[in-house]
Amino acid sequence: MANERISGKASQPGMRLASGEDLEQIVRPAEGLISRRIFADPEVYERELEQIFGRAWFFIGHESEIPERGDIVARQCGVDPVIMVRDQAGVVRAFLNSCRHRGMRLCRADRDHATALRCPYHGWTYSTSGELLAASSEHHYGPGELDKAQLGLIPVARLGSYRGLVFGSWDPAAPSLEEWLGDMRWYLDIIFGRTGEIEFVGVPQIWDVECSWKFATDNFTDNFHVYWTHQSLVELGMLPSDPDFASHGHMVTLDNGHILHFVQGPPMEAFQGLGLPKSLWPRFAEHLSPAQARIAQAHGYSAGTMWPNFHWLQLVTAGDTKSEPVGILNLRLEVPLSPTRTRMYSWFAIDKAAPADYRKTSYETYVRCFGPSGIFDQDDMENWEECTAAARGPAAKRYALHHKMGLARPTDATWAGPGIAYADSYGEMTQRAWYAEWLRRMRQPAHAPTAVQRPRVTAAS
Amino acid sequence: MSAAPHSAGVPADACAPGTPLYGEILGFLYREAALLDNNEYGAWIELCAEDIHYVMPVRTTQVRARGPGFEQVSFFDENIHSLRTRVARLETGSAWAETPPSRTRHFLTNVLVQAGERPDEFAVAANFLVTRTRAEQAYQMFAGRREDLLRRVAPSEYRIARRRILVDQTVITSTNLSVLF
Repeated sequence: MANERISGKASQPGMRLASGEDLEQIVRPAEGLISRRIFADPEVYERELEQIFGRAWFFIGHESEIPERGDIVARQCGVDPVIMVRDQAGVVRAFLNSCRHRGMRLCRADRDHATALRCPYHGWTYSTSGELLAASSEHHYGPGELDKAQLGLIPVARLGSYRGLVFGSWDPAAPSLEEWLGDMRWYLDIIFGRTGEIEFVGVPQIWDVECSWKFATDNFTDNFHVYWTHQSLVELGMLPSDPDFASHGHMVTLDNGHILHFVQGPPMEAFQGLGLPKSLWPRFAEHLSPAQARIAQAHGYSAGTMWPNFHWLQLVTAGDTKSEPVGILNLRLEVPLSPTRTRMYSWFAIDKAAPADYRKTSYETYVRCFGPSGIFDQDDMENWEECTAAARGPAAKRYALHHKMGLARPTDATWAGPGIAYADSYGEMTQRAWYAEWLRRMRQPAHAPTAVQRPRVTAAS
Repeated sequence: MSAAPHSAGVPADACAPGTPLYGEILGFLYREAALLDNNEYGAWIELCAEDIHYVMPVRTTQVRARGPGFEQVSFFDENIHSLRTRVARLETGSAWAETPPSRTRHFLTNVLVQAGERPDEFAVAANFLVTRTRAEQAYQMFAGRREDLLRRVAPSEYRIARRRILVDQTVITSTNLSVLF
């Protein structure tokens, strides 16, 4: 059958590592003990590919990146290369970036515009909605040898979009995007809907870092590194000199491993309303519920992770020692290339309603502070590489990392949003929730291989 | 850089390879590169004009018909204040990406000089190779083309008024961009 998925592996991978240990013996989120072994071990990584990257929901791109019919960007869903395309009917679709014939990469540009996709190897040609329009030398195929209706591009098994963010999963049995996001939608509405629509500006910055993808994910929900890792900016007066300055806020853990922070900045107007210009603040009440609008108004910073590897960073900072602080919306994705090498993606996004001068200042400040050249980010990547390098050896792997801060922290029932909230933004509650979801996923029994009769073409919107 | 030299400046044959002017500009570029390689950022920033625009666009792979793939989004988009902030940061001793510092070599070749729109300005293009190693790490490399606008402020003295860093890589295969180009 043309579309059968082929697996040479037993359907049940078992819960134990080759050493005989179960992952739950070395990853104990409830105790704040996470083995260093999971950050550099090929056996753990191979299981992550199947259990996490083959099955969870992953961010692919934003609808604003492909505004016109025929617009294409080359990305990945999990770790598999995909194209995200707006087809001739205007529907956003995503397919494995690989021809059905010999598996040749179909779209070889990072972005393109086309009415059809032709494979350079033998000329097989597909519509932007994935149908095989023509193969090569078709009259040489005998009866039944070329069933074109069965040879469309391999679609991402589940595709969905929320607030323009397009996510996909390779697991046909995955819960719907809405179910998987769950209460995270309430917070996504604040970040991506506070003034109307958000647009991604241009292409992402992309760079490869010699680190475990998990050290990056861990960092994006870690507020108390800011004072020490970014000490150079404290010394320059670009960050407050109080080591607890980023602790004044809330952190929230949600079902399915989603986690987030909202943090008050210094008591200055620039750090209210998520750092957005004052002229946009009245829009909060138009686009959000009263509780959501109050959270947007009262906070400067926010960081959130859509489990496992997609993050928003809503920040307020100046780009140099002479300028005033400005709001920035930065989106981040980590795609592992190996246990110890990770491809980083960083996008700049902005409210469509933002005035032109704010748009320019926010963008310039983003480039100066974040991404590979950013005066903040540079030092983070140094940490992730050094943590990974030190996790490789057999001795290091016997020891756990320390994630115990706030094990006994009480929850805060007064927080107006959904989820389990804590009235403090320093603590490792969100990291522990992330690793608990990681452990649950890694120990889940594998699905039996599913034979798909016909590519399921699922519209994103 | 545009193909035709501007008539307002120095005649084209006055800045061809081998001329005194060409040699003077080459000397400036080599001295500037030595400052970067020697971690003398404080001296390097003095070579930047107050109105400098220092930019490294993100590059994407594009089909031939769509051009070289330099995007509006950049890896660097700097003015004099942000460059001074970068230099001041390196000198704090707590800019961990460069503490301990990287070891770099800036190699410049294929230098071409053209007269600028003003008589004291020159459009200078060069290929660059920047190698970088930190601690015990393998070399990280950056190759590309640099398009500068240099402003002559005294005999043999120039200021960098514009620098466009056109890197060949679409994916930067380096920990970060904590070095300058």
